[in-house]
Order: sequence, then C-alpha cells, then structure tokens
Amino acid sequence: MAAALELRCWGGDWGLPSVHSESLVVLAYSKFSGAKLTVCPIDWTWKTITASVPELLCGDAVVQEPAQILHFLRKQRFNADYELTARQGADTMAYIALLEEKLRPALLHTFWVDAENYSNLTRPWFASRSPFPLNFVVPSRQASAALSRILVTKGEAPLHRISEVEGKIYSDAKECLNLLSYRLGKTKYFFGNSPSSLDAFVFGFLAPLFKATLPSSTLQSHLKQLDNLTHFCDNILAVYFSAQNPSLPPPVQETMDANLQKLTQLVNKESNLIEKMDDNLRGSPQHKTHRAESRARVSTVTD
Amino acid sequence: MALVSAEPWPENATLYQPLKEDQILLSDCASSLAVQAYLRMCGLPVQVVCRANAEYMSPSGKIPFIHVGNQVVSELGPIVQFTKAKGHSLSDGLDDVQRAEMKAYMELVNNMLLTAELFIQWCDDATAAEISRPRYSSPYSWPLNNILAYQKQWEVRRKMNAIGWGGKTLEQVYEDVSQCCQALSQRLGTQPYFFSKQPTELDALVFGHLFTIITTRLTSGELAERIKGFSNLLSFCRRIEQTYFEDKSSST
Repeated sequence: MAAALELRCWGGDWGLPSVHSESLVVLAYSKFSGAKLTVCPIDWTWKTITASVPELLCGDAVVQEPAQILHFLRKQRFNADYELTARQGADTMAYIALLEEKLRPALLHTFWVDAENYSNLTRPWFASRSPFPLNFVVPSRQASAALSRILVTKGEAPLHRISEVEGKIYSDAKECLNLLSYRLGKTKYFFGNSPSSLDAFVFGFLAPLFKATLPSSTLQSHLKQLDNLTHFCDNILAVYFSAQNPSLPPPVQETMDANLQKLTQLVNKESNLIEKMDDNLRGSPQHKTHRAESRARVSTVTD
Repeated sequence: MALVSAEPWPENATLYQPLKEDQILLSDCASSLAVQAYLRMCGLPVQVVCRANAEYMSPSGKIPFIHVGNQVVSELGPIVQFTKAKGHSLSDGLDDVQRAEMKAYMELVNNMLLTAELFIQWCDDATAAEISRPRYSSPYSWPLNNILAYQKQWEVRRKMNAIGWGGKTLEQVYEDVSQCCQALSQRLGTQPYFFSKQPTELDALVFGHLFTIITTRLTSGELAERIKGFSNLLSFCRRIEQTYFEDKSSST
C-alpha cells in the first residue's frame, strides 16, 4: 500500500502502550482502523527534548498533533469513522471539544502541577526515561508548559493564582466525566458496536488517569466510581492492546471492502448467467430458423 | 445562599458591555448578544448599558456581566447557573444524555467559534491594525490607548500559542469555522431549535455568535460568507431575531 507508517511517541507503563494521552489517542485509532504503525518510543533518546510528540512519519511527510494525524490516516484509507452518520460526526467534534476544554486542564494539573503527584510519579518516570543530562531538563520544562497553559486558558486575569483556579478546573473535570458516563450509558463504544475516533480520544484521555499509580487524586477516585467508563478502558485494552490476543476484530474499512468484493462477485456471477442464457437463446431452434430465413433473404438479394 | 434564590428577578437588572458604536469588538459583541438572547428567552427583563470600562468592572475581566440586585455575575455559564438558582431554566426538560450533548456543543462553539473570532481580531495583522486596536483603545488618550491595545493583543496571542493556534493561517481558521458550522448545521437539521421545540442556552449561544459574525463588517467578508453557506443556520438566526428581538416593533 502506502509507505511504511512510523509513529514517534512516549513509551508505555502501568499496563498502557503509552503514558502520554495524545500518543495513546493515535495508537488506539490506528488499532481501530487497522493501520500498521511501527512504534518508535522516544524514551532514552535526545528526541525527548527535540521532537514534538506524537509525530507520524510516512515517507517524506511529517504530521504532528493527534487531530492532524487522524486526518492523515483517514486520507490513507484507514478510516474508523466509516459507518458514522453525519450527525454522529458532528457529535464527535462536540465531545472532543468538551474533552479539550473541561478535562485536559485538570489532567495537566493532576500529573504536572500537583506537587505530590509530580514529585512522586511524573517527574521520576520522565526523568528515568530521558538520557543524561536531559533528565534534569525535560520534566521541569513540561511542568512549566503545563502550568502556563492552565493559567493562560483558565486563569481569568493575571492576578489569579493556580490555587484559585484549581477548584474550578476540578469541578469542571468531574462534570465532564459525568457527562461522558451519561453519554456512554450501557453501550460498548460511543457509537454502536465498533469503535471510532471519539472512542480513541476518550480512551487516550481517560486511560492514564485510570491506570497511573497516583499518590493523591480526587479526580482518579471520581473516575473509578464511574463503572461504565472504567469498563470501557479495560475493554479496549483487552481487545486491542492485549499481547495474548493476536486476532483482532476486523477493522471497519476492511469489512466494507469485503462486502464490496462479495457484491462484485455476485454481480459478475449474474452477468455470467445472463451471457449463458443469451448463448442458449442464440443456439435455440426457433432462433436458428429465424437466422436461416434472414440468410436466405440475403442470398436471394445477392443472387 | 438561601437569600439569593428567594429574591425575585428585579426590574432594574442591567447588563454592561463596552460602547456599542465605537469600542466593542466582534467576540465581545457575540458573547453579549448570547447573554441578551438567553435572558429574553427566559423572559427576564434586562437593560443594556454601555460603558467604556465595562471590561474592568467585570469580576472576571470578561464581557458581558449583569448586575442583579447586589450580585454581579459575568459570562454565559455562570449567568445560566445564577438564573437557575433563581428558578428560571431553559434546560430542565432535557434528560441526562441530552444535557451532555448540549454542554458538548456549547464547548464546541466556545472552542472553535470564539477562538476563531479572537484569532481573526488579534492575530491577523490587517484586522488588528485596522479595526481591533483602534476600536479597543478609542475611549483613551495617547499614550494609554497604544499601551492598552498592544497589551491586549499580546495577551490574546499568548493564549493562542498556548492552545496551539499560534501557527495557524487565516485560511485554516476559516476552514475550522466551516467545519464547526457544518457540525452545528447537521445537529440542527430541520428542527426549529437544537432540542426540538424549546430554545435552550445552546440556541442563545449559537445565535449570539452567528448573528454577530454575519452582521459585522471586517476587513474580509470571507467568514460571513462561509456561514451564509448554511441555509438552516441562517433561518435559525432570523427566527430567533424575529421571535425575541423584534417584539417591540410587532406589539405596536
């Protein structure tokens, strides 16, 4: 098919293929759509400070940002949203916006700004995955980027400090989790029985929060109370990321192609039948006398 | 808390926004119109007062804000919660899944439309120089007007960089707006409002933004043209304008 697809992302831990939300989104989507990605973790390389993660390389093209990467994969015919209606596509955009606005600030805070989590979990993990001397630089750079992002987007005026904003972002995040839980209900995935890009985004955002061993997190305990969301994450991990399960359910695009193939075969069979019937008709006695008559007419004319 | 909800809505509730003719910008006008539409849909009377320093009077620095009794509340989200505490709500009839959808679509509008308006106003050099900076600093004299205008521009550009819009071109932003409007158009379909017969705060928010974009003159009319391509959104705006904003003329 196309050139080989290579994805640069952070490595995995805590039972997840990657600890980085955005990389997880891309990995999940590639499994749902059947794209074969070579995963190149940037751990222990100098790319921890130079590369913007996640990054997809395909031949000469370099694509960054999860939304752009998913768009690129769709153009390469790896499409997990094939069966969605236009209305469901609109809902996807809306729910992704909800995740970005309401959940992302709280996730950034939980992992990078909350002092206990940062010093006990996040910083040691990222420092241990970066080569010397970057282990001193990478985690703190990411932490300050996270803090400034929260303050710039959620801190209403320059006078507000992080402590005043905390209460608001956590209550927004809890509300967002509740809304996702209502929307998912009892179904396996957000739109029917096969996963789509919305499932990839929700999985990417929720799985690290669910699986990481955070020393103190009210948000994590809130998430663990929402059973359908935790089952959703576990289900995707078991079906698509389990090493013991090599036979994955066929991705949506392939089933569509298989159906199309079957249809073409049927049509070909029918046209063969019609040709046979035609031949039979031409070889039939009534038809032969008709032809003999016309031949006779022609011969009389030429005579 | 109990005192707040017990008081009825006073007659002298006021909504503050920057000066309409000279100062107010596209994004603030859209937010203000959304709040006005919401209050009219709830049937709550409010007077609109224009002040040059409205942005500084607001408790959160955002426009618009309402002054009701002895409470000051700014921005649509908190205002919706405030009116709900007083017993007026448009979304009571929705079930949990519908409410989740409504909140998601409101975030989509904030995430895409409002951010695009801010980008076009402050990150596009032509618009910033011709329209945004002169208008924003019009009530002030030199050198304060220059300082304030550039400070605001720097603040908005910082925010755009933080959320990843810093590297976008104007074309990409127009494309994002088109996609957002397509999603809204799909969701609206042929219904009169987003949740069939009754308007909700989502209708007020969408109306505020779309109507303002269509009726405001910028350096380029491309944004308005993109929205006018969606006929059901246009008739939606017209319907809300006729139902809630022209009642004075129809009652005579």
